[in-house]
Amino acid sequence: MRSHFRSLSACALVAVLTVAGAGCGQDAETAQGGVTTITVMGMPAATNAKGRKLFQDQVAAFEKANPGIKVVGSDMPWDVKTFAPMLAGGSAPTVLRVPLTEPAGLIERRQVADITKEATALAEYRSLNPDIMSYVTRNGVTYGLPEKAYALGLAYNRALFAKAGLDPDKPPATWDDVRAYAKQIKDKTGAVGFGEITTNNSGGWHLTAYTYSEGGSMIEQAGGRWTAAFNGDAARRVLDRWRAMRWEDDSMGGNVLGKQEDMIAQFAAGKIGMWVTSPSDIYPTYVTNGGKPEDFGAGPMPQGAGSATLVGGTIHMVNAKATPEQRAAAVKWIQYRYLRPNFDTEAAVATAKAAAADGTPVGVPVLPIFDQATADKIYKAIAPHANVPQDHFAAYVASLGSLTFTPEPQVASQEIYAALDPVAQAVLTRRDADPAALLADAETRVNAILGKQQ
Amino acid sequence: MTPVVATAPSPAGAAPEAAPGRRAGARPGRSDRGRRALAGLVFLLPALACFGYFAWWPIGRSVVLALQQTNLVDPARWVGLRNFEVLFADPLLPTAVLNTLWYTVLSLLIGLPAPLVLAVLISELRRFGAPARVLVYLPVIVPPVVSVLLWKIFYDPDSGLINAVLGLVGLGPYPWLQSPAWAMPSLVVEATWAGAGGAVLIYLAALVAVPRELYEAAETDGASIARRVWHVMLPQLRGVILVLLLLQIIGCLQVFTEPYVMTDGGPENATVTVLLMIYRYAFLFGDYGTATALSVLLAVALAVVSALYLRLTRGWSSR
Repeated sequence: MRSHFRSLSACALVAVLTVAGAGCGQDAETAQGGVTTITVMGMPAATNAKGRKLFQDQVAAFEKANPGIKVVGSDMPWDVKTFAPMLAGGSAPTVLRVPLTEPAGLIERRQVADITKEATALAEYRSLNPDIMSYVTRNGVTYGLPEKAYALGLAYNRALFAKAGLDPDKPPATWDDVRAYAKQIKDKTGAVGFGEITTNNSGGWHLTAYTYSEGGSMIEQAGGRWTAAFNGDAARRVLDRWRAMRWEDDSMGGNVLGKQEDMIAQFAAGKIGMWVTSPSDIYPTYVTNGGKPEDFGAGPMPQGAGSATLVGGTIHMVNAKATPEQRAAAVKWIQYRYLRPNFDTEAAVATAKAAAADGTPVGVPVLPIFDQATADKIYKAIAPHANVPQDHFAAYVASLGSLTFTPEPQVASQEIYAALDPVAQAVLTRRDADPAALLADAETRVNAILGKQQ
Repeated sequence: MTPVVATAPSPAGAAPEAAPGRRAGARPGRSDRGRRALAGLVFLLPALACFGYFAWWPIGRSVVLALQQTNLVDPARWVGLRNFEVLFADPLLPTAVLNTLWYTVLSLLIGLPAPLVLAVLISELRRFGAPARVLVYLPVIVPPVVSVLLWKIFYDPDSGLINAVLGLVGLGPYPWLQSPAWAMPSLVVEATWAGAGGAVLIYLAALVAVPRELYEAAETDGASIARRVWHVMLPQLRGVILVLLLLQIIGCLQVFTEPYVMTDGGPENATVTVLLMIYRYAFLFGDYGTATALSVLLAVALAVVSALYLRLTRGWSSR
């Protein structure tokens, strides 16, 4: 029976790929009778009734203010598996809502539209955070606009800290501290001191972030060609520390073969002392998974020889098949729904009220997508509706002003991460793994990937 | 035997008699055969259209796409055999092929005898045969992803059920999925648990068809249980065993769900399979051409296996 299932799955895969290819050239959204229709991702699911109603009210208000535009909401979340066939079949949404890991690949494959003309015409465009905009611009061309952003930091369990005799208000700031804290948590509480994720490209993603925090880099450009640059002391220190924590301190637990979703569940269950993630981003999921708000702590991205962190976020991009009218309408909508609540206090308060009434977190500290003055004004306006223990984020927020935001590898980031996953897995699952040999092997593989791209 | 009724032959070239007067078993005329063929074709047409659109056309398009590079937006570019060159330059391909073959071998070693043994044991049960059949078949009802996730929890090295049970008798803890050596056998055990029920039912049905007299004759001649199984039961089941064996080989070569959900190909690429590579090329890296090139190669390999299957089953079934 299962073999039948697999046969069907394989056929479906091939069928999807090919039928997708056959469907090229269709375009579902067209301008009819002077009305431009756009399909937009980001409509809250039906289970989030209040959030959905706010979305629909905003659609009605937007359409009233822009009589030539019709907005069709989609509550379908971003899924790379369905996006490709939908794009080929002409049914992909006009406005794509994607995590910050996606723009590089979408831009490389030319699957998203150039919105430079429409975006730069916005009054607030110049106030957007350049660190975040660097992810959606390439060679002076703008391909997207941000909804929210956050930096990698340390999520930790305050209750486990207290139980282990550590001060919950003083999370570790260096990797040496992290190692010592992790061992203390493990020894005193029996819980995993420091959790790590290594599958679905997360191992390569974390190895990249940790290497940056050690002052290293992943790829470099010389003479117009990209090559791997991670086979050095910085990445080596990361691997050596992982090995020591896993096999000498035994502070990382035996289960190191998981992805971010697995770790959130474990963290919410109180089984993990610390781990590196985007604390602001995972907080809502942590609460949904049953995690106690009072136990949640957010600290800075631990540092070694460097002073850097990676940025994450949610971005809106426009389908490459959109017409000029749809592109203009899409940018108008992104401004109305996502930029406005970050610079217009009235819109910010309305959004915060609806979220608070629905029981979803309000006031989670994020990386401002505009300048600091605008961010402070918005925080002040929504403060009465905030329901998040913001003082538990204090150390994390303080670090945002001092750390450098380093971008992900600009070329083939996902392929590089996929090639680095086995490196992280080897060190954490094999006591006799040789970090130097692993890095040398990964360097060869990544150079082959980069060579293919150029 | 039915007596043959002699009738006068029709004049040469004359049309046969009309249907009411025609005897049973007479050969139909050409126009009659044509009408029947046309009717058959009409009945067949919906199925042909479905197969054509959903199977043959995509297969044909796959071959075309394997020779192209596309971003699914701009018109596809012909790149000749470049996608195959990229594929063969990928150091992960030999690993994935060997892993897939290793999974297949392990599945045959574990997954082939297990249902047979279970079927024999259940068929020998005097009581509780029906509940036993239900219990064995239950895992098949569980959606594949759910059973894989369930076993992922069982395999947890720190708090998993398996290590907890083994710990009671002083064994372990074992790393299971966290070890490059243990990961693949762990996937096979899960797949066997999840898929054995269907095979057990087929074996049970086949066992019922084995004539009782053969067992009784062997028993009268003093054959032990092992000899009765080896000399009576297995030869009688050989057709079914061969069919299931080859279907299992084809299924195993397309393994995807277990490594995708349970290990994502890890640790250290120990469970990366061919289908997982296709998935990564297409949906992670957006390289649809290379993904399709690998799909085509896999399809060719499966066609070879299928041809072998047809040949072998024809030989065995004619005995």
